[in-house]
Amino acid sequence: MLDVRDVVTAYGKIEALKGVTLSVAEGRITCLLGPNGAGKTTLMYSIAGILKPRRGRIALKDREITGRAPDQVVQAGVALVPENRLVFPQMSVRENLTAGAYLRRDRAGIAADMERMFQRFPRLKEREGQLAGTLSGGEQQMLSVARALMSRPRLLLMDEPSLGLAPLVVEEIFRIVTELNRDGTTIFLVEQNAHMALKVAHHFYLMEQGRVSFSGTPGEVEEAEVIQRAYLGSRRAD
Amino acid sequence: MIDLAQSIVDGVLFGTTYAVIGIGFTLIFGVMHKINMSFAAASIAGAYSGLLVFLLWKTAPPIVVFATSAALAGLIGYAIYLLCFRFIPIASPLATLMSTVGMLLLVDEIIVHLTAGMPLSYPAIYDGYPIELGQLILRVDLLLVFLVCLVAMAVLLYLLYRTRLGIATRAVAQQPVAAQLCGIRLTQVNAITFVMTGTLGGIAGAMIGASVGVLSPLLSLPLTVKGLIVTVIGGLGSIPGAIVAGLLVGAFENVFQMWRGVTERDMYVMLLLFAFLVFRPGGLFRIAGARD
Repeated sequence: MLDVRDVVTAYGKIEALKGVTLSVAEGRITCLLGPNGAGKTTLMYSIAGILKPRRGRIALKDREITGRAPDQVVQAGVALVPENRLVFPQMSVRENLTAGAYLRRDRAGIAADMERMFQRFPRLKEREGQLAGTLSGGEQQMLSVARALMSRPRLLLMDEPSLGLAPLVVEEIFRIVTELNRDGTTIFLVEQNAHMALKVAHHFYLMEQGRVSFSGTPGEVEEAEVIQRAYLGSRRAD
Repeated sequence: MIDLAQSIVDGVLFGTTYAVIGIGFTLIFGVMHKINMSFAAASIAGAYSGLLVFLLWKTAPPIVVFATSAALAGLIGYAIYLLCFRFIPIASPLATLMSTVGMLLLVDEIIVHLTAGMPLSYPAIYDGYPIELGQLILRVDLLLVFLVCLVAMAVLLYLLYRTRLGIATRAVAQQPVAAQLCGIRLTQVNAITFVMTGTLGGIAGAMIGASVGVLSPLLSLPLTVKGLIVTVIGGLGSIPGAIVAGLLVGAFENVFQMWRGVTERDMYVMLLLFAFLVFRPGGLFRIAGARD
């Protein structure tokens, strides 16, 4: 579904991505692991069009989207749930969702999707008129996911959705990720919480210092020594 | 006592023009996090440009002049966006500060050259008798200025809080990265903001011209200062703040004009600003997270 080939993205002279190649299979959950500063968020922003890659090619179902403006990427069917959620703090929950559907013109469809979001995230329904800045971290994460879904993406990018959330909330987020995937959305997830990711994802990539250094199935992840040490602790002993 | 009340009433009525100018400054700051120093000068230039109507239509009624002022001011706003903001890197707020100060001087120079520095008369909004309320005298022209500005502000608030464009504008102001991820185009929203605030400024400029009776290049610098004072007192980025602060500054300067005369009045407005900077630097309506 998504093909990333030799992508180089730089901030001034510093290359954060030094030629990243990976692909995301349609209908699957693909997970990107990696330490802070590896370039995971840079990759997400490069796909979403916020950052322009210096070299390389990004294609969505054989349609090239490299260097396209963010609105064109959204139009092509990609939505990003950004790191740190980035909700619109002074706008109500409902307005945040309306903003998510900005490029759509089908009023009836937007209204129906909004109701669907409120069914999927009942907490958001309770807080419909409340300013997003007053929500808890977990609620903001739900809102950020719901806002991204309002554009009806075929591919949902999620940048560390569990960051800074309580364990119970993390479980809920991952339950939602699985549900969304079951309903047909392809998901590309950046995650530091490898334990949780192992329960849901179908394929894994590891990124280090701007390069992909590992690619494999959940089974292979459990075998790989690097990932063992860095992400799973020494649980293999038991 | 009645003098004081009279001054406050006149000041509050005229203060709506300051409120509108303050909203212009504050809205651009809210959306782009940059100050457009040329805004008040462009508003006066917009009012001037309304007089162009007389070249085509010698007996044009005042309302046509006002409408032309507003429309051309919107165009001027767009031109300023293109010249001073569009191609200047986002990361350097000082660059746009300089470019807009340059624009302020340029606009003033253009006005001085085209009018030979002479004040031009501007159509009055009303020239009948004032209304008497007991001892209080209500100037109908100021009342109309007040109403026009009120309507302009109401339309702006409607646009911001009840339309798709408003959602986009507020989204960009609050979280530009997320706004882009929703498919909102920053350059488009920025350009529209300049047209909107430009039009608003043109309305304020026209109303100032209409209540003073003349337009002069000397209006633009004091209006710039007052607009900035209103913006700071209201709290950078806060529209309700700009409205309240506009009325406050209008009343305040009028009261001191009565007590101390027109030559000293602006000094006291500066003192008011000073007091705010010392005791309440965030302004009346501080916006959480709006400061960078």
